[in-house]
Amino acid sequence: MGVIPQLSAFEAALAASLPAGDLRSVLESGGLPHRRVEAWKWSDLRGALARAPSGAGALTVDVSRKADQIARLDHQPDLLMPRLAAGLSDGCPVYDLQDGETLSVGFEAGEGASHHIAAVNVPAGVNAILRERYHAAPGGFANIALRIVLGEGASLTRIVEQDASPDGVLVVTTGIDLAARANMHQTTLGFGAKLARLETHVSHAGEGAQLSLGGSYLVASGLHLDQTGIVQHTGPNGATHELFKGAAAKGGRGVFQGKIHVEQAAQKTDAQMNHRGLLLADGAEIHAKPELEIYADDVVCAHGNALGAVDDEALFYMRQRGLTEPRARALLTRSFLAEPLEAIEDETVRDALLARLDAALEAVS
Amino acid sequence: MLEIKNLHARVNPEEGEAKAILKGVDLTVPAGEVHAIMGPNGCGKSTLSYVLSGHNGYEVTDGSVSFLGEEIGELEPEERAAKGLFLSFQYPVEIPGVPTLTFLKEAANAQLEARGEGEISAPEFIKRARENAAKLGISNEMLKRPVNVGFSGGEKKRMEIFQAMMLEPKFLILDETDSGLDIDALRVVADGVNALRSPERSMLVITHYQRLLEYLKPDVVHVMADGRIVKTGGPELALELEAEGYEKFSGAAA
Ligand SMILES: Nc1ncnc2c1ncn2[C@@H]1O[C@H](COP(=O)(O)OP(=O)(O)OP(=O)(O)O)[C@@H](O)[C@H]1O
Ligand SMILES: [Mg+2]
Repeated sequence: MGVIPQLSAFEAALAASLPAGDLRSVLESGGLPHRRVEAWKWSDLRGALARAPSGAGALTVDVSRKADQIARLDHQPDLLMPRLAAGLSDGCPVYDLQDGETLSVGFEAGEGASHHIAAVNVPAGVNAILRERYHAAPGGFANIALRIVLGEGASLTRIVEQDASPDGVLVVTTGIDLAARANMHQTTLGFGAKLARLETHVSHAGEGAQLSLGGSYLVASGLHLDQTGIVQHTGPNGATHELFKGAAAKGGRGVFQGKIHVEQAAQKTDAQMNHRGLLLADGAEIHAKPELEIYADDVVCAHGNALGAVDDEALFYMRQRGLTEPRARALLTRSFLAEPLEAIEDETVRDALLARLDAALEAVS
Repeated sequence: MLEIKNLHARVNPEEGEAKAILKGVDLTVPAGEVHAIMGPNGCGKSTLSYVLSGHNGYEVTDGSVSFLGEEIGELEPEERAAKGLFLSFQYPVEIPGVPTLTFLKEAANAQLEARGEGEISAPEFIKRARENAAKLGISNEMLKRPVNVGFSGGEKKRMEIFQAMMLEPKFLILDETDSGLDIDALRVVADGVNALRSPERSMLVITHYQRLLEYLKPDVVHVMADGRIVKTGGPELALELEAEGYEKFSGAAA
């Protein structure tokens, strides 16, 4: 810090597209997030974009229905990437979900740089599903910010599928607010990109809200997926359960950063965070940083993190019965990765994600 | 059917020095015969079963193994399995998340494919699974569970024999299949193994106890000590060992 970095051509073009003001000067003085920024230490966005096409990108947003309104919205949390997304979008489509509704959104980033922001409200008592799918074409960069607000007793199942995007770059930052007794279930199935970061911030402000946050990832050679989740418990009696499982092939890179912050007022919080990584070969990388920060005394909190390889004895046992080594590995990897997806309540969605995982494993093995 | 000549093998642990375990095993099992191997703890019986089935944790330093007239020393475990070699593990491995029947059907089809034969149909497979499970007193619920997960020691051994009955191998190595089985289960499992006996199928039965051999009636009994076969005889040899222990053989090997 302190040293004014040399902006890359990409950063300079990005800065030039912003009106003069605070956001532009933040970008000009610090550039895009990079390795020496603690929260991005394993995901060097600046490096990944240094030589990327900086022209306006073609982002196709394919939504299952029209927005209820277009608003002007400042994004929360107050971070550079979602601020850029807000600053560079024309307006923010807002979706007010109906009870029983499934809203599907597909994002396809073509070559060039695109920014987009959207908001989803789940009114009190409403139970809905939000499905998102992300892909970036070679040379494509999409910076997307979402804001999700759950009203009292509202319930949302959020499913995020991030397709393998070699040579594409994706940053998705989501801010989620949970009102009292809201129920949020978020599951990701991700395959990485040249660099992909799915960052989720959840605020448990109301009382007794329930959050499950999890997902599976499988990163093949040359692909990078970073899942960063920051959960703030400010209201009492909330629960957060996280289970992330991922596998990296040779040359693939998985990143898990999880933080649960429990404020003093958030008594009786129940917070559990687990990450398990499977290194499929030498040269696979998984980096994990689970953190609990607890200021309340009457809470149940735990976290776990483990990295390992496929169990050799299980592999031998399966091969002794006749399975080829790649097939035995795929079965073991599949059973490892399926767990977070099996927790999805909706059977159709669950089966669809498991089928995608199977297809991806066939391709890797 | 199986011919082992002067087999030497060692283990190369991640830490520490390589250690020779098999020190010149000679053993021939003709088609249709059942041979037993007995020997003290740590003499190399399980190591022999791993080396025969191609475990890459052991390095063959000398000697040869031929199976059905073909050298198999260089083959992968799955290639040996497809040729008809089956190992009932002393300690069967748990495989979370993979249901037993799914696993076995896939294993059976992988073997068929490797031999250039057609797949078994799902209904046919289920039918055979039901019949074999019934013979061994294995419930439907057990077949749905992931491979070996949550089974008691004895149940695991039962499942190993169930797998053998499903895969119909040409050669079975039973590594202490009797350990962990209660008296009734031992009889049920031994009946299952006896049902597999045929003129085209051979077995190598590793055990510490006479009781299993009373059911299986081996043609030949071998004594292994310190990585070698030190004595070979008829079924009476097992009785002699039970009465006298291994002491004199351990001496002979030294
Ligand atoms: N992977 C290994 N690493 C180190 N030592 C090993 C390994 N595998 C086997 N050994 C050693 O080799 C020797 C033979 O082991 P093995 O398991 O073959 O014995 P066994 O005859 O089957 O004994 P038991 O009757 O107790 O089953 C033992 O001393 C054992 O400790
Ligand atoms: Mg043994």
